[in-house]
Amino acid sequence: MTTLKVSSYAIFLLSISGIIYALLFNPADWIVYAISIVLIPTFILSLGLILMAQVKKEEEDERRNEPFIGY
Amino acid sequence: MNLMANILLNVLIAFLIGSLLFGLQRKVMARIQTRPGPPIIQHLLHTLKFFIKESSFPYTAAMPFYIAIASMLCAIWVSAVIVGPVIEGSLLLFFGIYALQKIVEHNAGSSSGSPYGKLSCVRAVFSAAAEVPLFAVLVIIYLQTQTMVISDIINYQAVNGPLIFTIPLAALMFFVLILSKSPYSPFAITKGKDIVSGYETEHFGVLRGYLMISESIAWYMLLWVFLTVFIGPLGILGYLVGMVAISVLIAFINSITPLLNPNHSIMVQITFAFIGIVGSLVLMLVM
Repeated sequence: MTTLKVSSYAIFLLSISGIIYALLFNPADWIVYAISIVLIPTFILSLGLILMAQVKKEEEDERRNEPFIGY
Repeated sequence: MNLMANILLNVLIAFLIGSLLFGLQRKVMARIQTRPGPPIIQHLLHTLKFFIKESSFPYTAAMPFYIAIASMLCAIWVSAVIVGPVIEGSLLLFFGIYALQKIVEHNAGSSSGSPYGKLSCVRAVFSAAAEVPLFAVLVIIYLQTQTMVISDIINYQAVNGPLIFTIPLAALMFFVLILSKSPYSPFAITKGKDIVSGYETEHFGVLRGYLMISESIAWYMLLWVFLTVFIGPLGILGYLVGMVAISVLIAFINSITPLLNPNHSIMVQITFAFIGIVGSLVLMLVM
């Protein structure tokens, strides 16, 4: 979970920086399109991964070892 | 306006209006079925709620594909917003975006490892076989207007009147396509309740919220393209009234129509596509 948290923060910072760059510096149109198509979705995803509720320590085992009810 | 700000604003508008229209649709469906139904804002609240829920990822999921496919859905509909309201570009790009959406449905189902997802994945290929012919509506539009560029089509309609009057069967084809993408649609075989939530079954928590954002943008964009291409130059109020009217009409159809089984769904869609293409060509030759 720590890896997920760290990578979520990294992607969040990267995407917010890219979006702010495009907002402030008005780069060429194709760069703005690329930033929008790649970084807006990653911004939303990383924000979600940061905001999502974390499993409580005492419930972690229950979550991991829940019997596989199978398909 | 700064291009990035323009894109961000349009994506935000698409998400908010798309979510509210989904909420309105559920409300109208409920009232027709004599239920009180959820508040109109419920779909938007659900989307946001999923972002703060605890999430987990199934062992059977094909990582990182399982997450990447949800990002891809968002990316393609952000692209649609750019091609549509922002630059009023080519309808062919929109066709490409729609084709990618079918691939996402297919891969989201297969990446989760759930049998419901896999069944939905097969149905996505099945439904693509019917929905892509419906997109042949673009050929009819091209034959009528001699252009694929949205801004040129708007100008054409400003001079010659709305296309819905000159190629009504093409408009009907596009309407069936929109109907296919609405929740609880008779053609929604990829998300039919017989397979739980189809390709979204194993995308829960934050990923479900993420998919719902993309779907709200997709709904707004489909309505935007329909109104722009068939009704013509519209103001903000015109778009809002048009979107509400189409959503209510679709809610009415969905509330009184059962979900078709995959074979019937495909056959009905292909029949509409056939009637639309042949009928439009005949009308164009006669008129």
